[in-house]
Amino acid sequence: MLRTLALGLLMLPLAIVTAANAHGPTRQKVTETVEINASPDKVWDVIKNFHEFSWHPAVEKTEGEGGNKEGAKRTVFVKGAGQLHEELLSYDDEARKFKYSILKTDLKVLPVDNYTSILMVQDAGDGKSNVIWKGAFYRGYVNNNPPEHLNDAAAVKAVKGVYRGGLDALKKQIEGAG
Amino acid sequence: MALPTSSTNCNVSAAGLAAALIIAGLLIFPHAAATAGDRVKNEAVVTSQLAEKVTFVDLTTMQVTGDVSVPGKPAGIAISPDGLTAYVTAPEAKVLAVISLKQRKVVRRINVGNGPLGVAVHPVDGRIFVADWYDHRLAVLDAGSLEITSYIPVGESPSGVAITPDGSFVLSADRDSHQVSIINAQTLEVISTVPVGERPFGITIDAAGKRAYTANVKSNDVSIVDIMKGKTIATVNVGNRPYAVALAGGRAFVTDQYAETVSVIDLEANTVIKAVKVGAYPEGIAADPSGRHVYVACWEENTLERIDARSLEITGRVEVPDGPRAFGDFLR
Repeated sequence: MLRTLALGLLMLPLAIVTAANAHGPTRQKVTETVEINASPDKVWDVIKNFHEFSWHPAVEKTEGEGGNKEGAKRTVFVKGAGQLHEELLSYDDEARKFKYSILKTDLKVLPVDNYTSILMVQDAGDGKSNVIWKGAFYRGYVNNNPPEHLNDAAAVKAVKGVYRGGLDALKKQIEGAG
Repeated sequence: MALPTSSTNCNVSAAGLAAALIIAGLLIFPHAAATAGDRVKNEAVVTSQLAEKVTFVDLTTMQVTGDVSVPGKPAGIAISPDGLTAYVTAPEAKVLAVISLKQRKVVRRINVGNGPLGVAVHPVDGRIFVADWYDHRLAVLDAGSLEITSYIPVGESPSGVAITPDGSFVLSADRDSHQVSIINAQTLEVISTVPVGERPFGITIDAAGKRAYTANVKSNDVSIVDIMKGKTIATVNVGNRPYAVALAGGRAFVTDQYAETVSVIDLEANTVIKAVKVGAYPEGIAADPSGRHVYVACWEENTLERIDARSLEITGRVEVPDGPRAFGDFLR
């Protein structure tokens, strides 16, 4: 027991160093959507600014620069949790779609690693829209045999929660405003 | 090797000797018996990591023709020289799954270490080399017995593995050491380590066995390694997060995961001549034996896409089960 503990302690710094870049485990995928009773242009107007994330109920504010240009950076202040540092990877106004990544992961805010995400609005016909939010990421603990709060299931659950919370609030906000 | 070598110590007839040699040949090279006609099936064998399946795609019709369940999040793949067996790494189960492509069935699951990822098959004797992400070594398996016969320690977190067509050298892309290990395939000694770009993942060797190409995830470039010199001779910038490389018609095709493109490099000028738009998270990529087409597995899009290697246009696309990676040489 003692020996195991000692070995565990010895390996801890190594695990942290490796965590920065390795991606040995299986990449996870989450897709959440919501249908909103409003035109795609109207919905896109609410979410299209990379630096305007206040439509998400968990977001306190964002800071950053670079506009909607590839390489733009934003810091997302998550209510009561901490910050996420994100970068805009690509932006397509015509397709109503942008893609971004988390540059530096704070496992207390979101237990993921190597995270990228796509947010897009599609025409659902009859003046309606579908908002699609996709994520691709690794679990927070990138070595073998993760603790429960940093395993694949925990990562998927957390990201699903973020997307669901945001999309449902967005629908309420837009449809409520008539 | 105790083959009869002179007529003084044996009374084997010429025909008997020939038969003995053939049998010996089969024992040593169990995969060498198939004819060229058997080899080319025009089929892709795609690992779908999230669906935990291996899917078969007829490349003539671009239709899925079947699949086989492979628990353990299958990722890496290699096919035996006779085209009859697929070796698939299942990192979460820590096994190498052996799939009979005739029966479309997993016939063996072998424990190979803590983090099996890239896999390659020796083109002459059929030995299987499996990179282990967590144990930082390659496991070597005998083609006949499928037993692990040796381990080769390499750099940190080896991912891709490739072998020269003549079977002389085995190369591993050691992702967290930013290097390629070059291994003598007979003695299994690492004869040199070659610094490349940051975080090399996929590695591919040209038909002449002279050069290796690594896709460097972090530095967003491809390193071109002269295998005999043991040196990186060129570096070419590509799209965001390159994953793997295929070679066809004097060009390199590189999957750029974040950019959602395949960067096409002209290998005379060593410059990118086009970024072909493909589905999201393009990963595994391979050229067919004729070099006419290149096939790309798109992990996020759940597609296998066909690029015409001359016109550089997408000419086919088929939906496959969730999370296709097809990391390795997945065509037969």
